[in-house]
This record gives sequence, structure tokens and C-alpha cells, in this order.
Amino acid sequence: MTVNDAHPRLLYWAGVALGPLAWGINLQGVYALAHFSCETTRLTGTIMSAVLAVVALAGTVISARAVRRGAGAEWAEAQGGGPRTFMAWLGVGSGILFALVIANQLAASLMISPCLR
Amino acid sequence: MTVLADERELRDDALNGLELATRLERLWRTPSGLLGALMSVDHKVIGRRYIVTAFAFLLLGGALAILMRIQLAGPEQTFLSPDKYNQIFTMHGSTMMFLFAVPVMEAFAVYLVPLMVGTRNIAFPRLNAFSYWMFLFGGCFLWISFLLNVGPDVGWFAYVPLSSLQYTPTKRPDVWAQMITFTEVAALAVSVEIVVTVFKLRAPGMTLDRIPLFVWAMLVTSFLVMFAMPSIMVASTSLILDRLVNTRFYDPSSGGHPLLWQHLFWFFGHPEVYIIFIPGTGMVSMILGTFARRPVIGYPVVILSLIATGFLSFGLWVHHMFVTGLPQLGAGLFTASSMLIAVPSGLQIFCWLATLWDGRPVYRTPLLFVIGFIVVFVLGGLSGVMVASVPIDTQVHDTYFVVAHFHYVLIGGAVFPLIGAVYYWFPKITGRMLSETLGRWNFWLALIGFNVAFFPMHILGLIGMPRRVYTYTADMDWAHLNLVSSGGAVVFAISFAILLANVIYSLRRGALAGDNPWDASTLEWATSSPPPPQNFDRIPVVKHRDPLWFDNESLPVVAGLSIERREVLLTSLAEAEPQTREASPEPSVWPLITAIATTIFFVGSIFTPWAVLWGTPPMAVALIGWFWPSGSREDEE
Repeated sequence: MTVNDAHPRLLYWAGVALGPLAWGINLQGVYALAHFSCETTRLTGTIMSAVLAVVALAGTVISARAVRRGAGAEWAEAQGGGPRTFMAWLGVGSGILFALVIANQLAASLMISPCLR
Repeated sequence: MTVLADERELRDDALNGLELATRLERLWRTPSGLLGALMSVDHKVIGRRYIVTAFAFLLLGGALAILMRIQLAGPEQTFLSPDKYNQIFTMHGSTMMFLFAVPVMEAFAVYLVPLMVGTRNIAFPRLNAFSYWMFLFGGCFLWISFLLNVGPDVGWFAYVPLSSLQYTPTKRPDVWAQMITFTEVAALAVSVEIVVTVFKLRAPGMTLDRIPLFVWAMLVTSFLVMFAMPSIMVASTSLILDRLVNTRFYDPSSGGHPLLWQHLFWFFGHPEVYIIFIPGTGMVSMILGTFARRPVIGYPVVILSLIATGFLSFGLWVHHMFVTGLPQLGAGLFTASSMLIAVPSGLQIFCWLATLWDGRPVYRTPLLFVIGFIVVFVLGGLSGVMVASVPIDTQVHDTYFVVAHFHYVLIGGAVFPLIGAVYYWFPKITGRMLSETLGRWNFWLALIGFNVAFFPMHILGLIGMPRRVYTYTADMDWAHLNLVSSGGAVVFAISFAILLANVIYSLRRGALAGDNPWDASTLEWATSSPPPPQNFDRIPVVKHRDPLWFDNESLPVVAGLSIERREVLLTSLAEAEPQTREASPEPSVWPLITAIATTIFFVGSIFTPWAVLWGTPPMAVALIGWFWPSGSREDEE
């Protein structure tokens, strides 16, 4: 049984999509907001990174739910044939990976003054 | 069998057995004669040429390494002049990185990926032929230049301002920069082919989670190539422009900056390490599964690790620039990301160890090389964690410690798996087995020779021996370790001589291999050894991640492809469900002619900017010939 069979509307791909999307927005956002952050509050970038890290992790959670509900016997037998479950696993890992990368940029925004751009 | 052939065209469900095989062989074979050979678009023919050419460059690069080790075996030797030494270490690095390591991995992919995914040819076969010719011409251009004493002498990284016109007024850096363009064009072409082959030409049923791990590794590698190599092409082209028409990208007196070169180079240069290493991990996974007699443990973990490694590899480049005066905080963040990449690599190693632990390992030569890989690569990874740290890197930068580190990573991470892969897939490619006895000699001499050659370099670096020096004085106390290192290099070279002898001997006298001598599980072993021009008489259907272990009696197939013209089956990306039939191009000499025209353009443009003007029309003519409608049914439809 695949995720698709049991829950056709499960967002098994959420982690694969949300992780890179959040990172992309964060990467562009820290540059776009640097001027604003320098003149007002340096926390702008930090807040944005924190929110987007949560978005990436949300992708992980949604994909993890898809795995939990849909993981079939194909994984135990290692025969494959469940590409949606596989995508959901990729989503779990991808969300965590991109959340870590965003956290790295968050650390930078905490330590480096935006006025040093 | 149901006959589905339409009235217009004979399809492969209308024939059986020998008659079908004969018709398909006639349809897909490379034309005979010299012209036929030059026209070939068969991925196996091009893959073999790629492999042989890349190994020829390995031998040339290895010979240069031996010359350097002879020079450094004792203090104040005069075997090589300083100028020749500079050329040789540059040629060694450039040859190994651009003409051997990357191309040989892509060469194996060109040969194996279409077989592994169960199709009849690679996507864009003429582009594949063009890629090989560009690689060959680029390599020959570099080596002919070297033989004419115009070999580059600015290091494989060609840092400015050393490589600028002011400090190197000869054509040597131009030769280096244009060789880059040749090889990158070739690599980008292959990457596009691999991605499309994996996404659209997989056998029905080969869902995303049934793709062999080597194919996954090559898919990730191809994306790395497509994102990393444009950076070095921009860098090398702007360097040539600086030197030819004074564009001043890197001239600080006109607003340029030398560090821009380092950023562009290493944004490519660090992923380059993984472009070499990730295919090696794919080979390791394939060999391990076969010889441990069980599927690799943690299939999704291994794939996630490959993807994570590929992504993270783009966030590390600054660790090559720790001593350029970058702000410490920024350097610290790159230290963190450099250490982060050890996590996915470590996960893969644990999956492989668990596979060995839980399997019933058969210690044949390919598996020995995989075990050698694990040992050597882990040692290289440990010194990598050391140099990722700014304080340690600052101390050992530009010393032999770094030379030791990257040889452990690159030879351990790529060459050991590669030699294992040669022993593993040689029976498939040639139909004959390599000698196991010579293989064991090969392995042990390689393992011992490598460690004797490169481990002392750690100590030499720690006691202060800098890289890229053509000699040293006797009072430095570096002589004994250098002599040991040179001795190890000779032993290491002998191991490759044994490999070469084994290949030459086995090509004629090796035991016949049969279709699947290792009882392996993936599709390339489902066809004859060597495979016929059409790869498979009928396209297999995949119902399991290890299809030959699951369907060990007879593999299910689909039928319906034309046997009057070259056709491949396109399938959907995730589920690999059949979508449509697609024509596959016929042999053509135009890729070769286009490569010759491009070569004239590239070589001419390092001498005069006017080459851009007179070099373009021949390329345009060649491309028009390439795409000119040939009156085939594909064009008519």
C-alpha cells in the first residue's frame, strides 16, 4: 500500500518543496533586508530566518506524517515500488537539511552586524 | 504473444529469439570502417573510448607524479629544472582533475547508466559523441602544448595575479584556461545526457526508489556539474579576456580583485571534489551489495546522504581561502559547514559497514578495493576535519599536510572505488574476467604503496615543508621522509602497471565471463557480456529494487518498439510508467565536425580576439549539418 492509495491528498512532497523554498527566500531575504536591518533593528534577519527554519521543519513534519500513514511493506522488504513514500522520506531529510542551513545563516545574522554589508 | 504492430511498421512483438536479436543488432550497430567508427553514437562505444582515454591521461599524470617524486627524493637534486617542475606539478594536477578524475567517472556513467536503467541508448547520443571529441581534443591540446614547452606552470588553480599577463606573459595560462573550457563543455554535455536518461528513459516499473545507487550517485553528480562548472567557465573565460583584451576583471588598479578569482575558482573547486567522490560512493554501493550478498542497508539514507553531500558541497568553498584575510567570523561559519558535510558522508559509511556486517561477504578483488576505500577515505576525512578548523588550517596551509590530506580523500574516495569498479565491470564490458591473482597483487601493492607514499607527507607538512617547491636543502631534515615517500610512489606506480598488464592479458586470455559472473542484481547484468548494440532485445520491466535477485528465472519485458528504426521508450519521472516511444538518433559524423570547428574556435581565441569572428561560422555550419533533416521517418513525423 502506498501513501497515494491510502491518503491521496497527503502532502508527501511537502519537505522536498518547503525546505529549499524556505532557504531560497531566506538567502535572498537576508540580502534584501540588510539595509533595513542596519537602519532599524538587526533582529529583522534573525526573525525571518527563525520563521523560515520553522517552515522548513513544517515540511519535515508533513512529510513525516505521510511516511507514518503510508509506509508500506515495500520498505521492510526493500523491493521499492513506493515512490510517494520514498519522496516523503526525502522530504523528511530535505526539511531537516535546509532547516540546518537556515540555522547556520541565522547564526550569522546574530553575530554579524547588517551594517557591515 | 499479442501482436500490436501497426500496418506501417514492424515492431519487436512480431518477432522472437534470434531473428529479433539479429534485426535489432543490424539496426543499432555502429557502421563498420573508420568513418563508421567516427560516426558512432552508441553509448557503449563512446563510453569505452572515454574510459580508455581517461586512463591514458591517468598514466600520463602518474608519470609526471613519478618525475616529481624522483626530483624530491633527495635534497638539492637537479633532475628537473624549477621551470620544468612548475609545469609538471601544474600538468599533474590539471590532468588528474580535469582529464582523468571527472571524465572517467562520467565515462563509466555513459557506459553503465543506460544499461542500469534498462534502455537502448543514452539520451542525446550525438551530444554524447560531441562530448567525447571535445574531451579528447582538449586533453590533446593541453599535452601537445606541454610537449612544446607551453604547458601551464601556474598551478591547477591558476591564481591571479600570477596567471595575469603582467606576471606570466607567455601563453601558458591561456592554454590552461582554454583546456578548462574544453573539458567543462564535455562534462556539461554528459551531465545533461545523464539527467535526461535517468528521468525519462528508465525501464517501466523502475520507480524513483528502485533506481540503482550508482545511477542515483551519477544523477546527483550531474546536477553538481551543472551548477558548479559554469563558475569555472566564467572564471577561465574572464581570465583569457583579461589577458587578451585587458578586461581587468582581476586587476585591482582598475577596480578588479584577485580574490574574485579565488571565489569563482573554489565555488567550482570544492564541489569538484564531490563531483569526483560521489560517483565513487555509487560504485562502492553497487560492489558492496553484490559481494555482501544482500541489498545495501539504508537505501533511502544513502540517497539522502548523496543529495545532502551534493547540496552542502556548495557551502564550503571559503575553507580554501582561510589565509586570505577574510573576517574570522565568516571563516568560522565556513568551518561549521565544512564539518557539517562529514555527517552525510559518515552516514553512508555506517550504512556500508552495516551491509558488510549483516551480509555474507565474498572477498574478491572489487570488494578488497572497497575496503581499502573505506580505510583510506576515513583517514582522509579525519585530516579533513582538522584542516576545516581555521587555527590548524592557518598553520598547515600550503604545506605537504594538505597534499597528504587531499590525496587521501581523492585517491581513497575515488581511485580505490574506481579500480574496484574496473575489476567489477570489466567482465560486462569485455566479456572476460580479470585475473584474481593479479588483482590481489594490484590491491595490496596499491594499498601499501599509497600509504607509504602519502602518510609521510602529513609529517613533512607538520614539520614545515611547503608545497610546490622543486627542491629543499639538506639541513631541513626532510630528506628521509621524502625518500620514503618516493619509494612508496614507485610501489604505487607498480600496482597500476599490474592493473595494466592484467587488462592487456585478460582481454585476450581471461576466463569467459558469461552474462552475470558475480550474481549481481542490477539490469546491466541481465544482458550478454559484452552487451549487444541494442542493449536488450526487449525492454525489461522492473518489479523490485534488485530485479535479478527477485526475478531470477526470467525478467518480464515490454514489447512494441520499432525494429525498423531506432526507438527508445519514455517513462514518467516518479512512477516510470510508459508514456511514449521516441526516436533515437542515427550515427552521424557531424558531432565530430562540430567538435573540430569548436576546437579551432577555442584554440584560435587564445591568440586573437578575431577568432570569435572567423571561428563562429564554421561552428554554425557544423551545427546546421548536425540538425539538418535527413529524410528519416523521425524527421517526417
